[in-house]
Amino acid sequence: MTNPPREVQLALDEFDRSQLPEAQRALAGDAFREAVREHLAEQFAGQGGGAEVVVTADRIIIRWSDSTEAKTLAERGVDFLKAGDYEKGIGMLRVALQRNPADADALFNLAMALSDLGKLEEAVELLGRLLADHPSHAHGWVALGVAQARIGRDEDAVESLTMAVSLNPDDGHVRKNLGAILSRCGSNAEALVHLQAAARLLPTDPQCWFNLAATLEETGKPDEADEAYVKVLALDRNGPMGEMAEQGRSRIAEQSFRGRGGFRPDAMSYCEGALERFKDMPLAEVQKITFEIAMLGSRGLDVNDPAEQYTLRSIPGKFSGLHLLCIEYVGFQIIDPKVDIGFDLSAEYAVARGMFGK
Amino acid sequence: MPLHPAAQQMIRKVEELSGRPVHVAEDADLKVMAVITTARGSAPAHFLRYRPGTRAVDYLVAYQLGFLVRLFSCPAEGRWDVVSSAAEQEAGVRVMGLDEYPRDFAAPMVGQLVVQLRSYSVGARVDDWIWNQLPEFREQQEQAVRTQLDEGGRALSPEIRKRLPKALVDANSIMNAAYAVHWGGLLKDSRFQIPFKALGYEAKAAELLRALDEIPDEPDADRSLISRWAECLGLTGAFHFQPHILT
Repeated sequence: MTNPPREVQLALDEFDRSQLPEAQRALAGDAFREAVREHLAEQFAGQGGGAEVVVTADRIIIRWSDSTEAKTLAERGVDFLKAGDYEKGIGMLRVALQRNPADADALFNLAMALSDLGKLEEAVELLGRLLADHPSHAHGWVALGVAQARIGRDEDAVESLTMAVSLNPDDGHVRKNLGAILSRCGSNAEALVHLQAAARLLPTDPQCWFNLAATLEETGKPDEADEAYVKVLALDRNGPMGEMAEQGRSRIAEQSFRGRGGFRPDAMSYCEGALERFKDMPLAEVQKITFEIAMLGSRGLDVNDPAEQYTLRSIPGKFSGLHLLCIEYVGFQIIDPKVDIGFDLSAEYAVARGMFGK
Repeated sequence: MPLHPAAQQMIRKVEELSGRPVHVAEDADLKVMAVITTARGSAPAHFLRYRPGTRAVDYLVAYQLGFLVRLFSCPAEGRWDVVSSAAEQEAGVRVMGLDEYPRDFAAPMVGQLVVQLRSYSVGARVDDWIWNQLPEFREQQEQAVRTQLDEGGRALSPEIRKRLPKALVDANSIMNAAYAVHWGGLLKDSRFQIPFKALGYEAKAAELLRALDEIPDEPDADRSLISRWAECLGLTGAFHFQPHILT
């Protein structure tokens, strides 16, 4: 018969002191607690199975099981955390630390739990204790770096995560976090090293590719950034990363578009044509055309390719990406000028309006 | 699911000894694992109810019927029930330190303690008999006993003990300690008794177990056994024996 682990809790002040050797009966404080713990542990010794006795400030916790592989308090605390019971998990881990302040598992898991609950300062303090004794605890450095970053201590976070990378260079998640923090600190060149490594190690993680793309864009590498944004879209087109990648691609397209010259007469001409098209058109019809282009644009319009590669259901003919964007821009100026389509054609539109009808 | 043949045999034995049928049924509303209501007066049968889902049904049926076997094994003039008059309940309330508690709480607490007094003392006899005579129930018995041992251990928690007067808590704990020591011997697992020992219940528990050893294991000696335990626990004035009348 396999029996489940047993646990009994007793009030420490009810302990029968006559159980102790005479010399220990008058003890107080920590010495008394240790004497009680030792006495009870001895009672269980040789009885088979595994047993654990913990004596806190006010109670005795006795736990035993038929298995010699009785779980430690820290392991039981982790079990509670895994089951989502943070209160019991944290309580159990604190008891484990009362018993053994250097318990690495308890320090790490308690810090993680506190970090999850936003108690970051205490988490940082516990991880500091852990790493002082276990400087090779790679996960400890990661957890410390993440917690430090969350309380705005970016420089410390970079130092901690760099330690983690040196201990485990193939951990893509650490690389991703370190790259993101370095990027935030403006150390883009250094950030790129880690973000590129992260994208290589975690090729299906859209966040990795987005961080890389954003940093490439920031460092003036639009073509590489655009490629990375395309990766994001391939992995998470309909998610938040995909939406931000679309915005990134639009920015790059606009920069590239403007890079060929300030004012774009071709765009002005398309805007003028759109004004002509929409003249006297019922608003519903304008909306239909404009929204169809907007929908098409959500999948990406290449404004820098002059090829007429797009068709619409609402208007016959073939169009270049820039042409459609200009129609969309003018359409929204009629429907609701406050709408930002993510591409600034205001200068071209203003001139087109000035010329329209003359 | 039909009861084990050995449990059915016990049913037949009780029916023969008492002259009344035994009716076994599930009862989802039951708070304990199993309970028996003895036939008397207009009640035509002994009703044994158990909670659905209880795994050790055969053992629990045998355990409950074991009390009736002992009762009806005695000649009619040697059959006794343990009952408390109002005055005895009051005495029990005082001696258990329940004076300050509401009467509708204190009196039932004393009542439960008196029930425990009989079920733990005579129950030890019944359990020993099942352990020795019905080895086919060993696994079920061990399972039920370990559940009971767990409950006894949980009752030692500070949260429970601080809510009740010390005299009451001690009486309950001494009986639980005796149970843990008794079963520690049979199961060869003395770990359950360590917490009771830590709280100083070892000597009193030994006193109860000594009574089990010294008083003959005969049904007509059960009254002496209960009295001896009551004396040890300070419950002597909280009940009396009343002749058991079947009809």
